[in-house]
Amino acid sequence: MTTSTLPAPVAAPVLSTPESNLFEDPTPAAKPAGGPRLTPEEVWDVYEVGRTAREIIEGGWRRVALQFPDGMLMDAPRVYGELERELEQLEWKKTENGTGAGATNGPSQTVEGREEEKLETDPTPQASRSPRIRLAILADTSYGSCCVDEIAAEHVAADVVVHYGRACLSPTARLPVIYVYTTRPLDPSAAVAAFEENFTKEDRVVVMADLTYHNHVEGLVAELRGRGWEGVRGTEVIHEPTASIPNRKMLWSLGDIEKDTGGEEEDLKSWKVFHVSQPPAALLLTLSSRIQDLLIYPTETSKDLIATTTTRLLSRRYALLLRLTTTPIIGILINTLSVSNYLSSISHLRSLIAAAGKKSYTFVVGKVNSAKIANFAEVGGWVVVGCWESSLVEGEGFYAPVVTPFELGVALEGDEGRVWSGEWRGDFEVLEERGEGRVRAELEVREEVGYRREGGHMDVENDDEDSEEESAPPEFDLRTGRYVSHSRPLRNPQTTSKNSNASSSQGVSEPRTATTTLARRAKLEIASVNGAASPGAEFLRSQRTWTGLGSDLVTEGESAEAAGTIEEGRRGIARGYVIGEEVGRK
Amino acid sequence: MVNFTIEEVRALMDKPTNVRNMSVIAHVDHGKSTLTDSLLSKAGIISAAKAGDARATDTRADEQERGITIKSTAISLYGHLEDEEDLKDIAGQKTDGPDFLINLIDSPGHVDFSSEVTAALRVTDGALVVVDTIEGVCVQTETVLRQALGERIKPVVIINKVDRALLELQVSKEDLYQSFSRTIESVNVVISTYFDKTLGDVQVYPYKGTVAFGSGLHGWAFTVRQFAQRYAKKFGVDRNKMMERLWGDNYFNPHTKKWTNKGVHEGKQLERAFNQFILDPIFRIFNAVMNFKKDEIPTLLEKLNIKLSADDREKEGKQLLKIVMRTFLPAADALLEMLILHLPSPVTAQKYRAETLYEGPPDDEACIGIRDCDPKAPLMLYVSKMVPTSDKGRFYAFGRVFAGTVRSGLKVRIQGPNYTPGKKEDLFIKAIQRTVLMMGGKVDPIDDVPAGNILGLVGIDQFLLKSGTLTTSDTAHNLKVMKFSVSPVVQRSVEVKNAQDLPKLVEGLKRLSKSDPCVLTMINESGEHVVAGAGELHLEICLKDLEEDHAGVPLRISDPVVAYRETVTSKSSMTALSKSPNKHNRLYMIAEPLDEEVSKEIEAGRIGPRDDFKARARTLADDHGWDVTDARKIWCFGPDTNGANLLVDQTKAVQYLNEIKDSVVSGFQWASREGPVAEEPMRSCRFNIMDVTLHADAIHRGGGQLIPTARRVLYAAALLAEPGLLEPVFLVEIQVPENAMGGVYGVLTRRRGHVFNEEQRPGTPLFTIKAYLPVMESFGFNADLRSHTSGQAFPQSVFDHWQILPGGSPIDGTSKVGVVVQAMRKRKGIKEVVPSYENYYDKL
Repeated sequence: MTTSTLPAPVAAPVLSTPESNLFEDPTPAAKPAGGPRLTPEEVWDVYEVGRTAREIIEGGWRRVALQFPDGMLMDAPRVYGELERELEQLEWKKTENGTGAGATNGPSQTVEGREEEKLETDPTPQASRSPRIRLAILADTSYGSCCVDEIAAEHVAADVVVHYGRACLSPTARLPVIYVYTTRPLDPSAAVAAFEENFTKEDRVVVMADLTYHNHVEGLVAELRGRGWEGVRGTEVIHEPTASIPNRKMLWSLGDIEKDTGGEEEDLKSWKVFHVSQPPAALLLTLSSRIQDLLIYPTETSKDLIATTTTRLLSRRYALLLRLTTTPIIGILINTLSVSNYLSSISHLRSLIAAAGKKSYTFVVGKVNSAKIANFAEVGGWVVVGCWESSLVEGEGFYAPVVTPFELGVALEGDEGRVWSGEWRGDFEVLEERGEGRVRAELEVREEVGYRREGGHMDVENDDEDSEEESAPPEFDLRTGRYVSHSRPLRNPQTTSKNSNASSSQGVSEPRTATTTLARRAKLEIASVNGAASPGAEFLRSQRTWTGLGSDLVTEGESAEAAGTIEEGRRGIARGYVIGEEVGRK
Repeated sequence: MVNFTIEEVRALMDKPTNVRNMSVIAHVDHGKSTLTDSLLSKAGIISAAKAGDARATDTRADEQERGITIKSTAISLYGHLEDEEDLKDIAGQKTDGPDFLINLIDSPGHVDFSSEVTAALRVTDGALVVVDTIEGVCVQTETVLRQALGERIKPVVIINKVDRALLELQVSKEDLYQSFSRTIESVNVVISTYFDKTLGDVQVYPYKGTVAFGSGLHGWAFTVRQFAQRYAKKFGVDRNKMMERLWGDNYFNPHTKKWTNKGVHEGKQLERAFNQFILDPIFRIFNAVMNFKKDEIPTLLEKLNIKLSADDREKEGKQLLKIVMRTFLPAADALLEMLILHLPSPVTAQKYRAETLYEGPPDDEACIGIRDCDPKAPLMLYVSKMVPTSDKGRFYAFGRVFAGTVRSGLKVRIQGPNYTPGKKEDLFIKAIQRTVLMMGGKVDPIDDVPAGNILGLVGIDQFLLKSGTLTTSDTAHNLKVMKFSVSPVVQRSVEVKNAQDLPKLVEGLKRLSKSDPCVLTMINESGEHVVAGAGELHLEICLKDLEEDHAGVPLRISDPVVAYRETVTSKSSMTALSKSPNKHNRLYMIAEPLDEEVSKEIEAGRIGPRDDFKARARTLADDHGWDVTDARKIWCFGPDTNGANLLVDQTKAVQYLNEIKDSVVSGFQWASREGPVAEEPMRSCRFNIMDVTLHADAIHRGGGQLIPTARRVLYAAALLAEPGLLEPVFLVEIQVPENAMGGVYGVLTRRRGHVFNEEQRPGTPLFTIKAYLPVMESFGFNADLRSHTSGQAFPQSVFDHWQILPGGSPIDGTSKVGVVVQAMRKRKGIKEVVPSYENYYDKL
C-alpha cells in the first residue's frame, strides 16, 4: 500500500542487494491494461471519473481509497488527479448552488464541457471549502485484485473504496464500494459476425461478458435482436456471486426488467452462453454444469469463438481433491479479509475438518504462491477461503493440493456418499448448507462413543493390562490404490462392537465417572502438545530426518563418534580476526 | 463322502512333521486342476466318476466356463500311507505315524495370473510341477519353477497327459521314454540354473521317485518307485536298487538273465528296462482296450492283478481304458506317495526358509520361532492373499502360520507391507474374529491353528489391502513382502454411466483391489479411475468382476492403454541449475541413466531403501561398478521411496546440506512421480547433486524455497539428458505347428514384434517361437494371431522389460514419440507442448 504523497527515492540506497537476488514474485505479472497510454479523455471515460465523483459527493464521504489492480497502476496518478479536480469542482458547485450536483456532469458529457469546467475550477480558492475530500491510492493488494481490500482501506481510514478493474463483486463487510469496471473497447460488428457464425436461430443464447466488457452487452443484444435473433437474452450485473450465473441476472424480456421478478425462471440447462472475453476458470467451472454450452468470444487473440471443455479441468480437480481424503492435516488458507461472512466460514470449515477426524491449521499468507505454502510440509492439503473467483487457485508447482471449500466438502464426504456430477461452486457459503448436517451427525456419534467409553471404562480396566486399544482400520487412498494409516488422527479409535455393545447398556444408566480414574496413555497415541494430539508435531517427529545441530555429526557412512573437543575459534571484528593469543592485526 | 473329519485334521495339525503344504504349478492347460481332482476324489470330496472333469478347485463360474483357473484355491486333504515300509523312505525328516495332512493349493497357469501363483508359493513348502508330455517345458513352467526355487520351495514333477501321447501321437515306447527324459532334463536345467546352496540339489530324477507319469484326465499315474516295489519281490532285489535299474540306460538281458547297461546284446537291440517293465504293460492295456481285443483283456487284467466290478467290465473303449488304468495305477496313490515321501514338512522347510522369509535379524525370537516351527513361540503369520466370502465386500485373509498358534479372539498386531519396526506406519491392533480351514469353495470353522499350517482368518480384512504380517510380538519385523513376476502394465479407465453410482464404483474398486494380488486400482492425475492389470485377459476378468460383482453398476470402460515411464538416455548436456524463488539458494544437478541391471535389481527388491547402506554400497560397487562413495551417499529411491530412480549426493563440504535433505527428497519424490515429459513416473534415472549453495539463514532455505526448486532442477536435468519414453514389452511364447508359422511371423512383424528364438519340440510338429512384443501393440494380438493361423497358435505373454519407445525424442512434437506424448498430455488436460528445459533452468 502506498499513498501518492510518498516522495520518490532520490538514489538507490547503498549496499542494496544485487538485482539478480531481488525477490521475484513467482505469481505471473499482471498484464498491463490495454497497450498504449490512454489519452486524458480516455482516462476520463474508462475510469468513469465523473460518475465516481458524483457518487462520492452524494454519499458524503470525505476519505476515499482508490484501489487499482497492478496492471492499471500506471494510470493511477492521472485518475487521482482527474478525480481530485472533478471533486473540487463539484464541491464548489455544491456550495455555489446549494443543491446536489447537476445531472449534466455524467460521464457522457463532451470533452469540451469538461475542459471548460476545469478552467473554471482552477481559479477557485481552495480555502473556501470546508473539509477537503482526501483520496488515497491503494496498490499491491494483499489478496486478489478482484476483491476489495478493506483492510488496506481502513489503514487510511477511508469511508469508501473505489474499486477499479475486474471485480468478483463479493459482498463486503465493512465499507461501501464504488465499482468502476473500466470498460474496454469492443468491435460490435466482429462480435456479431462471430456470433452469427456459431449459433443457429433456434438456439437460446445468453449473452454475457466479463465486467470490463459488460457495457457492450446491451448494445450487442439489441443489435442481434434487431437482426432477428429472437432467442438472445442479455444479462445484468448483480452483486450476488451465488446466483445461478454468478453476479449476473438474465434479462428474460428485454427492456422490461421488472417483469422477470415474477419468477419466469426457466431452466438454464437449455441455454447456451456467448461470453465476451476469456472468463475466469472459476466461472467456467461454475457454469459448466448449469448451462448447455459456453462459447467464448476472445477479445485479444483471434476472432474465432473458443468452445470450452471443462470436463478435463473438472476431472483434474477431482483427482486433486481426492488427495485430501487421506491426508491427516489440512491447512485453511485465508485469502480474503473482506468477503462478508468469511469468519463464520472458517470456523465452519474447522468443524467440518474436525468432524472428519483430521487436524486443521489456519494460515494467512497474503497472495498465495507455491513457495509460501511449501514451507509447511506437514500440511497435506489446503483449502482456500477467498472470494468465489480466487478460491480456485490453479497453477503448477503446488506441492500439496489446493482446493476450494466446495471441493473440500466433496473430499470429506466419504467414499460412500461422494458424487462428482460436474456441479462446481466457487463460493464458500454453499458449504454450510451441505456440511451442517454431517458435522452434527458426526459430532453426535463421537460424543456418544466417547460417552460410552467413559461409561464403560470399568470393563476396560478389568481387561488384560497390556491390551492395547484396537486400531481403526486404514483408509484406501483412491489416488494411489494403497492403504493409508492414520489419515484421521483425531478420530477416537473405534471400540469393538463387542465392547460398545456391552458397555452401552451400562453407559446410559451410569453417571460419568471419568474424573475419578487416571487415564491410561495408549501406546499408539500420536505426539501431543500440551496434552492435545498434534499431528503436526507427529509429522515433524517421525518424518523429519534433520533434528537440529549435532544430528548431522553422524552422517551416513560413519559410525557415531564422540563430539569433537572444544577449540578456540577466531575472535575480534570482521576487519581483523585473531586466533588465541595471537596479538596484532592481520 | 469326505472320508475325514475336521477333528482329525485338527489333530494332525499338531504334528507338523506330518503336514505337507504344497502347491500345484504349471503352464496353462497342462492339467493342474484335473490332476488335483484325482487327489480330491481320493479324499472323498468328489466322486471318482467325476474326477478329471469336475475341476473342483475351479470354484468360480467363469473358471468352469472358460476352462482355465483364475484364482488359486486351497484345500486340505487327509493322506494315509498304507505301508509301514514306505514311512522309512521318508528321507531326511522325522515322521510321526502313517497319517498325513496335505494342504494343497491349486494355482492358475495362465501368465496373467502369475501373482496368484506367487501368493500360493509363499505359504507352501513344496510344489507339484505339472508338465505336459507333448508340449514339454513352456515359458510359464519355467517362470513358476523359478519363483518356487526363489522361495526355496522343493519341486516334484509329474509328466501329465501321457494318454495323449499314446492315443493321439501313437509313439513307440522308446520315443516316449526319450520324450520323458528330455522333459525331465529341461526341468532340471531350469532347476540347476536357479541353484540355491541352502536348499541343496533339488533336481528331479525318476529313479529317486521325484518324477511321476500319468494322466489326470483318466485318473492314473505312476512313479518308478511303485513299479520297483512290484518287481523287487519278483527279482529278489532291494527296492531302491530296482528303482535305479528301472530308469536310464539299464537293460535286462533275457538271454543272460542279467542286468546290464549296454543296450546291445550280440548285435541285437535290448529293450530298455523302463520300456520293458513299466511301459510295456501300459502299452498292452492301451492296445488291447482301444483295439477292442475283447479276448485279450481278461487275461491281461488277471496278469496285472486288476479286479473290475461287473458293471465296469461291460464298458468299452475309452471308458474301459479309464477304469482299467485307474484301477491299475490310481493317480492319487502315486501322487500322495510322491508328495509325502519327497516334499518337506513345515518343520524341515522352515529351517532353511526362515532367513529368506523374515526381514529382521536371524536371531530374534520371531525368526527362531519360524525356524523351529514352534507352536508356542510368538505368532508369526503371513497373509498372502484375500479370498472373497459369501458376505459381499468381506474377505478371508488367507495365509500360513509360520510360528506360534493362532486362535479366534487373539489380539494381534497387523503389520502392513510398509511397516517398519518402531514406527506406527501401517501397524494395527485387532482381535481375530474367527479362524477357518479353507476347503476349496467352502470353509470349515476351526478353533485354533498351530505353526506350519494354512488357514483363513475372519475379521482382519479391513486392515490389509492384499498381504501382510500378523504377529503377537512387539519387536517382530515383517515377513518379506512378495515380489511378483508380473507387473500391472496394461491399464483401462472406467467411469460410471450414471454419476450417482460413483460411490458404488469407488467401493467396487476397493474390493477389486483387495481380491486380486496384482491388480492396481487408482485415480490418476487427470481424474480417471484406472484399473491396471498384468495382461488383457487379467484385466478383462477384473473388469467383469468389477462391473458384475464388486460395483454392480453399469460402467463405461475405455480402450486399454499402456503405462509408460519417463527416463533419460544420456548424461545431462550441462549441469542443471535452479534457483529458489527467493534467489538465495541454488541447486546444481546432473541426470544420467541408471544401468538396466540396477533398475531391475531395485524392482525385484534385491536393492532397496531398507537395506543396510553399507551392504548396499558393496553390492553396487562390486556388481554394478559404482563408486563406493557415491553408492554410500544415495539419498533416496523414488517414486514412492522404493522406485528405480536414485538421488545421489556428490557434493563436497556443503554447509547445511543435511538440513535441506528432507526438502530435496520431497522434491525428488514429487518429480519422479510425475516426470517432466508427460507427468508419467520416471524410471531408471540417476540424479547427482553436484553442488548446492544455500542462504545462511534457516528461514531462507526452508521447504518452501527448496521443494519446488528441487523439482525444477530435476526436471531441467532430465530434460537436458535426452529424455526418452519407456514402453513395456511382453515376452511372447507361441506354440504353433510348422504350417502356421508364416501367419505368426506376419502378425508379429506388423506389430513391431521381434522373434529371438525359434525351436522345434523334438518328436512333435510343434514349434516354439519366442518374441518380444511391445505391450502397446499387443491389444487384440491373440485374436489376430488366431485368425491368421486358423486357431492353431497359442500365445502366452508376460511382461518382460521396458524399452525405449523408438521414433525420436519425446520433446520434439513432430517425431513419432512426440506425437504420443502430446496425445498423452492432451488426455491429461495439460498443455500439449512439452515445456523446454529453460522453464526450469535458471541462469547463474
